Amino acid sequence: MPAERYARQVLHWGEKNQQRIAEATVLVGGVGGLGATVSQLLVRAGIGKLYLVDDGIVDWPDLNRQILYGEEDIGEKKLPLAKKRLLAINSTTEIALIEGRIDENFVMPAGLNAIADCLDNYRSRFLLDELTPQGVFLVHGGLEGDHGQIMTLQSGRSQPMAEIFAGARQPEESIPVTPDNVIVVAGLMTNELFATLFGQPKLLNRCLVITLADFHIAFLDV
Amino acid sequence: MVQIQFFSLLRMLLKQEQIDLPAVEGETVAQLLERIQQQLPTPFLHKLIDDDGSMHAGTIILINRQNIHHLDGLQTTVRDADVVAMFPPGAGG
Repeated sequence: MPAERYARQVLHWGEKNQQRIAEATVLVGGVGGLGATVSQLLVRAGIGKLYLVDDGIVDWPDLNRQILYGEEDIGEKKLPLAKKRLLAINSTTEIALIEGRIDENFVMPAGLNAIADCLDNYRSRFLLDELTPQGVFLVHGGLEGDHGQIMTLQSGRSQPMAEIFAGARQPEESIPVTPDNVIVVAGLMTNELFATLFGQPKLLNRCLVITLADFHIAFLDV
Repeated sequence: MVQIQFFSLLRMLLKQEQIDLPAVEGETVAQLLERIQQQLPTPFLHKLIDDDGSMHAGTIILINRQNIHHLDGLQTTVRDADVVAMFPPGAGG
């Protein structure tokens, strides 16, 4: 591998942090809109190992924002496609696939440094948070229309997500999601994932709330 | 004073991020919400509360970081110096 592969980002965060990324293992829950971008950014940055969790099949409404998939993938399982595309970007990342939903039967793999909650329903999000091992950071992302939020929790130092979001509504109808908002929220999530790997999370027990309609950001302590 | 913070869709609807109101002894969240509505030009309670007085699913209300679901809901007492945050989180991914 050419030594200059990570040259531009090492100029920014240094060799020590690059080494931290290379040695890190991250689980990405959901490889849809948020997960497709988060996993791609992590792989481009040289993450050591990724666990991808999903049970979906590519469908037409996915293509506006799920940037690992294209027209030729309609009807195909997402996970093998994601792995193929991610390895084509960076073959040095180890990618493990966990095909299925985050439910009561889900077994969390060992050795994780961080978890990315890129799911699309509260039930699975709450379970993922509940199963997060002590001390491991979970970076949550969610969005709807022009709005989105990013938040970091750490098992043992944070309230359970199910308590923070008690009463939040899971719409039965399709949730409005645009390509630009997905990429913005996923980009912010990845920035925070790097910060957790560097040992300096910025959103621990804080929810960053963004609104693209007027480029507004606010912080909600949780 | 009680600090009330509005996030996301509520902030857009009300066109403001925060309102500070004097604390009223023994006031509940439901009573505080009524008082906020009287102070603001835009009605918003219909976004939070059903006709029967129960909370709509969708918006979380935190008092000093605690979701009122785990307190006494809309009957939770608000005290001087409390921070009340109202936030409808995005569910999609």
